[in-house]
Amino acid sequence: MKRMVFGALGALALSVTAAVAEYPEKEIQGIIQWGAGGSTDTVMRSVTPHAEDVLGGKVVLQNITGGVGAIALNQVAGAKADGYTLLMGAENPLLYKVLGLGKKDYSDFIPINVLARGTAILVASPDAPFDDYAGMMEHIKANPGAVRFGSTGPGGLPSVITAMIESVEGGLDVIKVPYDGDGPALTALQGGAIDVMPAVLGASIEFIRAGSMKPLAVFDTEANKNLPDAPTITSFNAGYEAHLPWGPFFGVFVPNGTPDDVVAKLTEAYKVGAENADFIELMDGRGFTMMNISGAEAQDFLTNWQQGTAWLLQDAGLTKASPEEFGIARPAE
Amino acid sequence: MPATDPDIYIDPEHHDGTSDATPGGEQTQRRPGELVFAAIMLIASLALLWSAYGIAGFDALSSPGAIPMATTLAMVITAGIILFKTAKLPLDHSETVVRDILPPVVLVFAGLLIAYGILLRPLGFLPTSALFLIAAIKLLARRGWGWTIGVSLGSLITIWLIFRIVFSVLMPSGVVPEAEFIQFFRNMINGGAG
Amino acid sequence: MQAFLDIMTIFTQPQLLLLVGLGTFAGVYVGAIPGLSVTMAVSILISFTFSWDVYPALSLMIGIYMGGVYGGSRTAILLNIPGAPSAIATALDGYPLAQRGEAGTAIGVTTVMSFIGGFIGIGVLALAAPFVSDFALTFQPRDYMLLAVLGILLVGSLSQGSLVKGIFAGALGIAIGAVGRDPLTFDERFTFGLPIMENGISFIAVMIGMFGVSEALLQLHHVNKDAVRQKIDKIVPSFATVKKHLPLSLQTSSIGVLIGALPGTGGDIAALMAYDHAKRVTKNPERPFGTGAIEGLVAPETANNAAVGGAFIPMMTLGIPGDAVTAIMIGALFIHGLNPGPMLMIEQPHMFWFIVGALITANFFMLIFGLTGIRLFTKIVEMPRSVLIPLIMLLSIVGAYAVNNAITDVYWMLGFGLFGYFMRHYGYPLGPVILGVILSRLLDDNWRRAIISEREDLGLFFQGILTSPLSLVLFIAVILIFVSQTPIWHKGKARLLGGKAA
Repeated sequence: MKRMVFGALGALALSVTAAVAEYPEKEIQGIIQWGAGGSTDTVMRSVTPHAEDVLGGKVVLQNITGGVGAIALNQVAGAKADGYTLLMGAENPLLYKVLGLGKKDYSDFIPINVLARGTAILVASPDAPFDDYAGMMEHIKANPGAVRFGSTGPGGLPSVITAMIESVEGGLDVIKVPYDGDGPALTALQGGAIDVMPAVLGASIEFIRAGSMKPLAVFDTEANKNLPDAPTITSFNAGYEAHLPWGPFFGVFVPNGTPDDVVAKLTEAYKVGAENADFIELMDGRGFTMMNISGAEAQDFLTNWQQGTAWLLQDAGLTKASPEEFGIARPAE
Repeated sequence: MPATDPDIYIDPEHHDGTSDATPGGEQTQRRPGELVFAAIMLIASLALLWSAYGIAGFDALSSPGAIPMATTLAMVITAGIILFKTAKLPLDHSETVVRDILPPVVLVFAGLLIAYGILLRPLGFLPTSALFLIAAIKLLARRGWGWTIGVSLGSLITIWLIFRIVFSVLMPSGVVPEAEFIQFFRNMINGGAG
Repeated sequence: MQAFLDIMTIFTQPQLLLLVGLGTFAGVYVGAIPGLSVTMAVSILISFTFSWDVYPALSLMIGIYMGGVYGGSRTAILLNIPGAPSAIATALDGYPLAQRGEAGTAIGVTTVMSFIGGFIGIGVLALAAPFVSDFALTFQPRDYMLLAVLGILLVGSLSQGSLVKGIFAGALGIAIGAVGRDPLTFDERFTFGLPIMENGISFIAVMIGMFGVSEALLQLHHVNKDAVRQKIDKIVPSFATVKKHLPLSLQTSSIGVLIGALPGTGGDIAALMAYDHAKRVTKNPERPFGTGAIEGLVAPETANNAAVGGAFIPMMTLGIPGDAVTAIMIGALFIHGLNPGPMLMIEQPHMFWFIVGALITANFFMLIFGLTGIRLFTKIVEMPRSVLIPLIMLLSIVGAYAVNNAITDVYWMLGFGLFGYFMRHYGYPLGPVILGVILSRLLDDNWRRAIISEREDLGLFFQGILTSPLSLVLFIAVILIFVSQTPIWHKGKARLLGGKAA
């Protein structure tokens, strides 16, 4: 099987110089920034076997958690730039600098592949006295400081979404109850400990289908095909268009300085791996939008994402240091 | 109260507390070094309380410093009581630090463990562990070199196979080209099969 | 009827049966080695079983889970080193039994009781899953906080020696659990500005250090003493023994199922709570607790295996993990193209019943593997200490490293090993430290959630406790247990009963 794939890639192999023709000549270490069972973990463990087939080598996956992913990022950044250590991360590192969580971010890395993007959604418990975003905003205005929003710490998806709401609506007077991830927060939502949760669509889709949560608004410009009936946020307030599309993403990275041919080989492997039908089906089912981009395209995506989000948090007063200090330009309006 | 429970089993040989359920402390006497330990605990607790105060001060009931402050305060209070009670107990003159608390063999092993920690990263897992096992077993068993090295390497390889091969735990490889070595075998097996 | 046929699926396919057996066998050994955890094994299996069908993959994972939870008791009994956090309480009475040469009895009782506990857990899963998960969902942050307080009061049962030292150790544990960046606000706590501290201290590293390395260091005091010969001729406990402890095992299993079903609490807390419960309700144990009481084995072992069934309850009915292992299994179901969530049980009931069937099978295999192969394990203890001690130390190091692939954890583990060594010498109990670390986040996070939800108002917070029946029950339990540990209670009781109770 492996040989067949190799044969199909023969054309590619020809362009690779003799010196690294054998890459990978030993197993590759893939460091996952988040814990076992999480979204990043699931995505990486499902795409990597397909990429391994193309690569003709073994990628040993390890979860190194802690410090909102900074421990893993620093470890890979400090490893030899020889393509034998990969970072499998999510969007968080782009905010480390402004949140004072670390001095490195993806600018110290070459993106191999930005695999997919998630969509944010605002969900409420079925008992909430409002059924959509407009109703919620009215309810909050009538009952200031009473509605409980779930949150997951600075830089997490809920903090960005609430910053977006504050920026577009000019304020959001709610109680923010902190959880250590959207899983526990969505559990709390079903138990009535919180009323509203900004979550990633994939994590809440099954609960919405079962009626144990109701969708208030999808944070996208067009309806999601998994939840065609859920209204988009732009249908309530066109002011959100400036910030969208926005979402958490997953990507594979290597440290700066990795030889070009190694980067090329890895890029090809993950590109083909991400085109696998099983993987695409899995991602669709979890409500992720496939991106499968690399090179300059991925670099641009990362830059735009960082500019938009960092300044959104800066304007909401959630940052420890201004994006300007790190040369992160304010996005052009 | 457990403290007065007459049925507590204490190893008659120098109360070394081989089971956690029966701590090795004495009820009525102070063991050598116990007072110093209690004093260090109090000082450490005070330092932690200060550090906890530094997290957020008396900012809010929900601040990240609230529970740390409460627990370190509890530590300071209990450490104070312990120190006071310990100071009142008569010293156990039948024991000495060197014989009962920190005999040379324990010091040597503590040293070996610290050396292990220092060498692990630069030297790598396999050589460091081999050295550690050989030194430790030689020291304790006092048997021939052949036996010592055989037992050490045999058990090291077993542990390495379980953790490295089965569980993919990548211990620091240091000077040993572990990954290339494994790839060599993998190629051989793949080559044989294909 | 369909349900029964689905349960039987596994028995009609020898391949699945074999995989469950293989998993259980591996699980017993994974569980027995400190540092190799079920969580780790199951997440590796995700990659390993990637291309398989979902049933075989699940069979293997369920086997490992069931076997692993049980396996932790082996090393706890034989070496006083719990192989997994859920076996900490088992060491308290198991190791004293091994010191008397009765490890065989201890393992026998543990195995049979784990089997009974496992069955009660599975029974509740099969018969009352929706009901239990609805109940588990009603736990609010303040209820979790009260549960944590209830757990912290266990310090009293775990500190044989001095209660003050126990409280100190427990508080220290809570503080250790808070080290590093706060997971809710990312503020640094007890880091002293050092980057190495930011990641916090792994709880497994603390456990392995305190129980593994400090135990090994203590053993150095008598390297040349012969190992205790273990009697292993009579392992299976008599029917009378099982019958005698059945009422207790039913109670502790119930504790196990419920704690297991609560998202955020698992077998470790369940086992400790069950141990405490046994100590409270057992009037006249044959031997005092802490010196080899059979009840002290029955309680934690029934509870932690019952918690396995419990953890599947929210997973199967709601798609919410009951613990770390079920969280990974949810990920595995995704990868295999299923959508775990509240609809899974409605859309794919056969999956639910298949898991029940696999659990039942794993439970039987656990009984078989538990009662055989004991000779090999006891051989390990009878190995000369001069080899055993260095090996325990090396395994502790590798185990601490394996938790998060971090060399920092090795340093912590060694540090706590040396610290634990002194604690043991001076009569500070180690159990409460681990208890504190386990409960630290449960207490801290939920206290903050609860008080933030009430807008920092203590009045509203207590009003909330008094108006919710569940909170009120927990609150009263906290008060009662607290009072029962103070001297006033004992004096009052002594006066009432004419001095007999003292």
